[in-house]
Amino acid sequence: MTVSTKLTMVKKIFADGSPCKKCGEVEEKMRDAGQLEQLDKIVIAYEADPESEGMQLAAQHSVDRAPFFIVERDGQDAEIYTVYFKFVKEVLNAKTSEDEELKEIMNDVDLDFL
Amino acid sequence: MGNITNIVDIDSELAVQTPQEILQYALENHDNIAISFSGAEDVVLIDMAYKIRKDLQVFSLDTGRLHAETYRFIEQVRKHYNINIDVVYPEASRVEKLVKEKGLFSFYDGDHKECCGIRKIAPLRKQLLTVDAWITGQRRDQSPGTRAAVPVMQDDKAFARPDDKLTKFNPLANWTSKQVWDYIRANDVPYNELHDKGFISIGCEPCTRPTGPGQHEREGRWWWEEATLKECGLHAVNIQK
Repeated sequence: MTVSTKLTMVKKIFADGSPCKKCGEVEEKMRDAGQLEQLDKIVIAYEADPESEGMQLAAQHSVDRAPFFIVERDGQDAEIYTVYFKFVKEVLNAKTSEDEELKEIMNDVDLDFL
Repeated sequence: MGNITNIVDIDSELAVQTPQEILQYALENHDNIAISFSGAEDVVLIDMAYKIRKDLQVFSLDTGRLHAETYRFIEQVRKHYNINIDVVYPEASRVEKLVKEKGLFSFYDGDHKECCGIRKIAPLRKQLLTVDAWITGQRRDQSPGTRAAVPVMQDDKAFARPDDKLTKFNPLANWTSKQVWDYIRANDVPYNELHDKGFISIGCEPCTRPTGPGQHEREGRWWWEEATLKECGLHAVNIQK
Protein backbone atom coordinates (compact mmCIF):
# COMPACT_ATOMS: atom_id res chain seq x y z
CA MET A 1 0.00 0.00 0.00
CA THR A 2 1.45 3.37 -0.95
CA VAL A 3 1.28 6.30 1.42
CA SER A 4 -0.34 9.35 -0.09
CA THR A 5 1.66 12.54 0.43
CA LYS A 6 0.43 16.06 0.05
CA LEU A 7 2.96 18.87 -0.34
CA THR A 8 2.01 22.47 0.31
CA MET A 9 4.17 25.55 -0.02
CA VAL A 10 3.21 28.71 1.87
CA LYS A 11 4.64 31.94 0.52
CA LYS A 12 4.24 35.49 1.69
CA ILE A 13 2.89 38.31 -0.41
CA PHE A 14 3.30 41.93 0.61
CA ALA A 15 0.46 44.40 0.58
CA ASP A 16 1.76 45.75 -2.76
CA GLY A 17 1.46 42.30 -4.33
CA SER A 18 5.17 41.46 -4.46
CA PRO A 19 6.51 38.26 -2.91
CA CYS A 20 8.95 38.35 0.00
CA LYS A 21 12.52 38.17 -1.27
CA LYS A 22 13.25 34.63 -0.17
CA CYS A 23 9.85 33.40 -1.34
CA GLY A 24 10.60 34.80 -4.79
CA GLU A 25 14.06 33.26 -4.88
CA VAL A 26 12.85 29.86 -3.71
CA GLU A 27 9.97 29.80 -6.16
CA GLU A 28 12.27 30.68 -9.05
CA LYS A 29 14.75 28.02 -8.03
CA MET A 30 11.98 25.44 -7.80
CA ARG A 31 10.58 26.48 -11.15
CA ASP A 32 14.01 26.17 -12.81
CA ALA A 33 14.51 22.75 -11.25
CA GLY A 34 11.05 21.56 -12.22
CA GLN A 35 10.14 21.13 -8.56
CA LEU A 36 7.08 23.33 -8.54
CA GLU A 37 5.16 20.61 -10.35
CA GLN A 38 5.83 18.29 -7.43
CA LEU A 39 3.87 20.52 -5.09
CA ASP A 40 0.17 19.88 -4.64
CA LYS A 41 -0.68 23.37 -3.56
CA ILE A 42 0.80 26.84 -3.15
CA VAL A 43 -0.89 28.87 -0.45
CA ILE A 44 -0.42 32.58 0.04
CA ALA A 45 0.10 34.33 3.33
CA TYR A 46 -1.11 37.85 2.62
CA GLU A 47 0.70 40.34 4.79
CA ALA A 48 -2.35 42.54 4.82
CA ASP A 49 -4.79 39.77 5.71
CA PRO A 50 -4.21 37.79 8.90
CA GLU A 51 -7.22 35.67 7.97
CA SER A 52 -5.67 34.52 4.70
CA GLU A 53 -5.09 30.78 4.45
CA GLY A 54 -1.30 31.11 4.55
CA MET A 55 -1.29 33.28 7.67
CA GLN A 56 -3.68 30.85 9.34
CA LEU A 57 -1.48 27.89 8.45
CA ALA A 58 1.54 29.74 9.85
CA ALA A 59 -0.32 30.29 13.11
CA GLN A 60 -1.58 26.71 13.20
CA HIS A 61 1.92 25.29 12.76
CA SER A 62 3.71 27.93 14.86
CA VAL A 63 5.83 29.06 11.92
CA ASP A 64 7.25 32.58 11.82
CA ARG A 65 9.20 32.52 8.54
CA ALA A 66 8.25 32.30 4.91
CA PRO A 67 8.35 30.38 2.75
CA PHE A 68 7.62 27.11 4.48
CA PHE A 69 6.47 23.69 3.38
CA ILE A 70 3.88 21.35 4.86
CA VAL A 71 4.26 17.64 4.23
CA GLU A 72 1.14 15.63 5.01
CA ARG A 73 1.24 11.85 4.86
CA ASP A 74 -1.71 9.55 5.49
CA GLY A 75 -2.13 8.81 9.15
CA GLN A 76 0.86 10.89 10.24
CA ASP A 77 1.35 14.29 11.83
CA ALA A 78 2.12 17.04 9.34
CA GLU A 79 5.83 17.81 8.99
CA ILE A 80 6.92 21.41 8.61
CA TYR A 81 10.01 22.49 6.70
CA THR A 82 11.16 26.06 7.05
CA VAL A 83 14.53 25.40 5.45
CA TYR A 84 14.28 25.04 1.68
CA PHE A 85 17.36 22.88 1.16
CA LYS A 86 16.21 20.42 3.79
CA PHE A 87 12.82 20.17 2.13
CA VAL A 88 14.19 19.48 -1.34
CA LYS A 89 16.79 17.04 -0.01
CA GLU A 90 14.63 15.11 2.40
CA VAL A 91 11.25 15.24 0.69
CA LEU A 92 11.94 15.74 -3.01
CA ASN A 93 15.21 13.77 -2.90
CA ALA A 94 16.97 16.49 -4.87
CA LYS A 95 20.61 17.48 -4.57
CA THR A 96 21.79 20.85 -3.26
CA SER A 97 25.29 22.26 -3.04
CA GLU A 98 26.95 23.04 0.28
CA ASP A 99 27.46 26.65 -0.83
CA GLU A 100 23.74 27.05 -1.43
CA GLU A 101 22.92 25.48 1.91
CA LEU A 102 25.34 27.73 3.79
CA LYS A 103 23.97 30.76 1.99
CA GLU A 104 20.44 29.90 3.02
CA ILE A 105 21.49 29.36 6.63
CA MET A 106 23.39 32.66 6.68
CA ASN A 107 20.43 34.55 5.26
CA ASP A 108 17.85 32.87 7.42
CA VAL A 109 19.28 32.17 10.80
CA ASP A 110 20.49 34.79 13.24
CA LEU A 111 23.99 33.55 14.02
CA ASP A 112 25.57 36.91 14.69
CA PHE A 113 25.96 35.98 18.34
CA LEU A 114 28.71 33.53 17.39
CA MET B 1 2.96 18.41 14.94
CA GLY B 2 3.10 16.75 18.33
CA ASN B 3 6.78 17.44 18.66
CA ILE B 4 6.41 21.11 17.71
CA THR B 5 3.66 21.53 20.29
CA ASN B 6 5.81 19.82 22.86
CA ILE B 7 8.77 22.14 22.25
CA VAL B 8 6.57 25.22 22.33
CA ASP B 9 4.98 24.05 25.59
CA ILE B 10 8.32 23.31 27.24
CA ASP B 11 9.69 26.62 25.96
CA SER B 12 6.77 28.41 27.61
CA GLU B 13 7.51 26.69 30.90
CA LEU B 14 11.24 27.32 30.71
CA ALA B 15 10.80 30.93 29.59
CA VAL B 16 9.98 32.03 33.13
CA GLN B 17 12.86 30.13 34.69
CA THR B 18 16.38 31.24 35.47
CA PRO B 19 19.29 30.50 33.13
CA GLN B 20 20.56 27.99 35.69
CA GLU B 21 17.22 26.17 35.73
CA ILE B 22 17.10 26.14 31.94
CA LEU B 23 20.64 24.74 31.83
CA GLN B 24 19.73 22.13 34.42
CA TYR B 25 16.80 21.02 32.28
CA ALA B 26 18.96 20.92 29.16
CA LEU B 27 21.80 18.99 30.75
CA GLU B 28 19.52 16.53 32.51
CA ASN B 29 17.48 15.78 29.41
CA HIS B 30 20.30 15.47 26.89
CA ASP B 31 23.45 13.41 27.30
CA ASN B 32 24.95 14.42 24.00
CA ILE B 33 24.75 18.18 24.39
CA ALA B 34 27.41 20.81 23.73
CA ILE B 35 27.93 24.41 24.77
CA SER B 36 28.97 26.80 22.02
CA PHE B 37 31.53 29.19 23.51
CA SER B 38 32.42 32.26 21.50
CA GLY B 39 35.18 33.49 23.76
CA ALA B 40 33.11 36.40 25.04
CA GLU B 41 30.68 36.89 27.92
CA ASP B 42 28.93 33.63 27.12
CA VAL B 43 31.54 32.20 29.47
CA VAL B 44 28.79 32.53 32.10
CA LEU B 45 27.16 29.47 30.53
CA ILE B 46 30.26 27.42 31.22
CA ASP B 47 30.39 28.67 34.80
CA MET B 48 26.72 27.88 35.39
CA ALA B 49 26.86 24.51 33.64
CA TYR B 50 30.04 23.48 35.45
CA LYS B 51 28.20 23.89 38.74
CA ILE B 52 25.60 21.41 37.48
CA ARG B 53 27.77 18.87 35.70
CA LYS B 54 31.55 18.57 35.35
CA ASP B 55 31.71 16.51 32.15
CA LEU B 56 30.79 19.34 29.82
CA GLN B 57 31.12 19.27 26.07
CA VAL B 58 32.26 22.73 24.98
CA PHE B 59 33.34 23.86 21.55
CA SER B 60 34.68 27.10 20.09
CA LEU B 61 34.88 28.11 16.46
CA ASP B 62 38.36 29.26 15.53
CA THR B 63 37.86 31.25 12.36
CA GLY B 64 41.56 31.99 12.11
CA ARG B 65 40.77 35.68 12.51
CA LEU B 66 40.12 35.99 16.24
CA HIS B 67 41.91 38.50 18.46
CA ALA B 68 45.01 37.27 20.28
CA GLU B 69 43.15 38.19 23.48
CA THR B 70 40.35 35.76 22.58
CA TYR B 71 42.77 32.89 22.00
CA ARG B 72 44.36 33.62 25.36
CA PHE B 73 40.93 33.75 26.98
CA ILE B 74 39.81 30.41 25.55
CA GLU B 75 42.95 28.87 26.97
CA GLN B 76 42.37 30.60 30.31
CA VAL B 77 38.84 29.18 30.50
CA ARG B 78 40.06 25.71 29.62
CA LYS B 79 42.54 25.78 32.50
CA HIS B 80 40.27 27.57 34.97
CA TYR B 81 37.53 24.95 34.74
CA ASN B 82 39.83 22.09 33.79
CA ILE B 83 37.60 21.22 30.86
CA ASN B 84 38.27 20.20 27.32
CA ILE B 85 37.30 22.85 24.79
CA ASP B 86 36.94 21.41 21.33
CA VAL B 87 38.35 24.10 19.04
CA VAL B 88 36.98 23.61 15.56
CA TYR B 89 38.39 25.01 12.35
CA PRO B 90 37.18 25.85 8.86
CA GLU B 91 38.13 23.66 5.95
CA ALA B 92 41.53 24.92 4.77
CA SER B 93 40.80 24.41 1.08
CA ARG B 94 37.68 26.59 1.25
CA VAL B 95 39.49 29.38 3.09
CA GLU B 96 42.35 29.19 0.58
CA LYS B 97 39.94 29.42 -2.32
CA LEU B 98 38.16 32.43 -0.84
CA VAL B 99 41.41 34.27 -0.10
CA LYS B 100 42.88 33.44 -3.50
CA GLU B 101 39.82 34.68 -5.34
CA LYS B 102 38.79 37.62 -3.17
CA GLY B 103 41.64 38.49 -0.85
CA LEU B 104 41.92 38.58 2.91
CA PHE B 105 39.39 41.33 3.49
CA SER B 106 36.65 40.51 1.00
CA PHE B 107 33.97 41.17 3.61
CA TYR B 108 34.67 44.91 3.51
CA ASP B 109 33.76 44.98 -0.19
CA GLY B 110 30.58 42.99 0.03
CA ASP B 111 29.06 41.63 3.17
CA HIS B 112 30.38 39.31 5.82
CA LYS B 113 28.17 36.37 4.95
CA GLU B 114 30.42 34.57 2.50
CA CYS B 115 33.40 34.69 4.83
CA CYS B 116 31.29 33.78 7.88
CA GLY B 117 29.74 30.95 5.91
CA ILE B 118 33.14 29.40 5.27
CA ARG B 119 34.91 30.24 8.51
CA LYS B 120 32.06 29.84 11.00
CA ILE B 121 28.91 28.27 9.69
CA ALA B 122 30.37 25.31 7.80
CA PRO B 123 32.47 24.16 10.79
CA LEU B 124 29.56 24.86 13.13
CA ARG B 125 27.31 22.68 11.02
CA LYS B 126 29.87 19.88 10.99
CA GLN B 127 30.16 20.11 14.77
CA LEU B 128 26.42 20.14 15.33
CA LEU B 129 25.99 16.97 13.29
CA THR B 130 27.66 15.18 16.20
CA VAL B 131 25.26 16.27 18.95
CA ASP B 132 21.59 16.02 19.88
CA ALA B 133 21.34 19.45 21.45
CA TRP B 134 23.39 22.61 21.82
CA ILE B 135 23.50 25.58 24.14
CA THR B 136 24.20 29.15 23.07
CA GLY B 137 24.64 32.49 24.79
CA GLN B 138 22.17 34.21 22.47
CA ARG B 139 20.16 36.97 24.13
CA ARG B 140 17.23 39.02 22.98
CA ASP B 141 18.93 42.30 23.76
CA GLN B 142 21.72 41.47 21.29
CA SER B 143 19.38 41.63 18.29
CA PRO B 144 17.48 44.88 18.24
CA GLY B 145 16.17 44.39 14.71
CA THR B 146 12.99 42.86 13.47
CA ARG B 147 13.68 39.32 14.52
CA ALA B 148 11.09 37.61 16.66
CA ALA B 149 11.96 37.03 20.29
CA VAL B 150 14.67 34.45 20.90
CA PRO B 151 13.04 31.45 22.61
CA VAL B 152 14.88 29.70 25.43
CA MET B 153 14.37 26.37 23.68
CA GLN B 154 13.79 25.69 20.02
CA ASP B 155 13.73 23.01 17.39
CA ASP B 156 16.83 23.81 15.32
CA LYS B 157 15.77 22.83 11.84
CA ALA B 158 18.69 24.47 10.03
CA PHE B 159 21.42 22.39 11.66
CA ALA B 160 19.62 19.15 12.42
CA ARG B 161 20.91 15.91 10.94
CA PRO B 162 18.82 14.72 7.99
CA ASP B 163 15.51 13.33 9.25
CA ASP B 164 16.57 13.94 12.83
CA LYS B 165 16.02 16.50 15.57
CA LEU B 166 18.39 19.01 17.09
CA THR B 167 17.35 21.06 20.10
CA LYS B 168 18.85 24.46 20.73
CA PHE B 169 18.82 26.06 24.17
CA ASN B 170 19.33 29.78 24.73
CA PRO B 171 19.37 29.98 28.55
CA LEU B 172 20.39 33.65 28.55
CA ALA B 173 17.64 34.70 26.13
CA ASN B 174 15.80 36.71 28.76
CA TRP B 175 18.84 38.16 30.44
CA THR B 176 20.25 41.59 29.73
CA SER B 177 23.89 42.44 29.27
CA LYS B 178 23.85 43.95 32.76
CA GLN B 179 22.59 40.72 34.32
CA VAL B 180 25.34 38.79 32.57
CA TRP B 181 27.99 41.18 33.86
CA ASP B 182 26.53 41.22 37.35
CA TYR B 183 26.86 37.44 37.33
CA ILE B 184 30.43 37.56 36.03
CA ARG B 185 31.49 39.98 38.76
CA ALA B 186 29.55 38.33 41.58
CA ASN B 187 31.00 34.90 40.76
CA ASP B 188 34.55 35.93 39.81
CA VAL B 189 34.11 34.44 36.36
CA PRO B 190 37.11 35.01 34.08
CA TYR B 191 36.37 37.26 31.11
CA ASN B 192 37.97 38.31 27.86
CA GLU B 193 40.35 41.24 28.41
CA LEU B 194 38.93 42.90 25.28
CA HIS B 195 35.91 43.88 27.39
CA ASP B 196 38.17 46.17 29.41
CA LYS B 197 39.24 47.80 26.14
CA GLY B 198 35.75 48.89 25.15
CA PHE B 199 34.57 45.83 23.26
CA ILE B 200 31.07 44.68 24.12
CA SER B 201 30.42 42.16 21.36
CA ILE B 202 33.44 40.12 20.34
CA GLY B 203 33.87 38.31 17.07
CA CYS B 204 36.62 38.20 14.46
CA GLU B 205 39.29 40.89 14.72
CA PRO B 206 38.65 42.65 11.38
CA CYS B 207 34.89 42.71 11.99
CA THR B 208 34.80 43.86 15.61
CA ARG B 209 35.50 47.26 17.11
CA PRO B 210 35.02 48.93 20.47
CA THR B 211 31.80 50.84 20.96
CA GLY B 212 31.28 54.24 22.53
CA PRO B 213 28.88 55.36 25.24
CA GLY B 214 25.26 54.86 24.26
CA GLN B 215 26.04 52.71 21.25
CA HIS B 216 24.37 49.35 20.93
CA GLU B 217 26.75 46.41 21.02
CA ARG B 218 25.81 45.47 17.47
CA GLU B 219 27.33 48.75 16.29
CA GLY B 220 30.66 47.18 17.07
CA ARG B 221 30.15 44.43 14.48
CA TRP B 222 30.09 44.77 10.67
CA TRP B 223 29.60 48.52 11.06
CA TRP B 224 30.20 49.15 7.36
CA GLU B 225 27.07 47.25 6.41
CA GLU B 226 23.68 48.88 6.45
CA ALA B 227 21.17 47.24 8.70
CA THR B 228 18.81 45.44 6.40
CA LEU B 229 15.29 44.72 7.39
CA LYS B 230 14.31 41.09 7.35
CA GLU B 231 11.23 40.82 5.30
CA CYS B 232 10.11 37.23 5.38
CA GLY B 233 8.77 37.17 8.93
CA LEU B 234 5.32 35.80 9.66
CA HIS B 235 5.18 37.17 13.14
CA ALA B 236 2.47 36.01 15.49
CA VAL B 237 1.66 39.62 16.32
CA ASN B 238 0.48 40.02 12.75
CA ILE B 239 -1.38 36.77 12.72
CA GLN B 240 -3.26 37.52 15.92
CA LYS B 241 -4.65 40.84 14.70
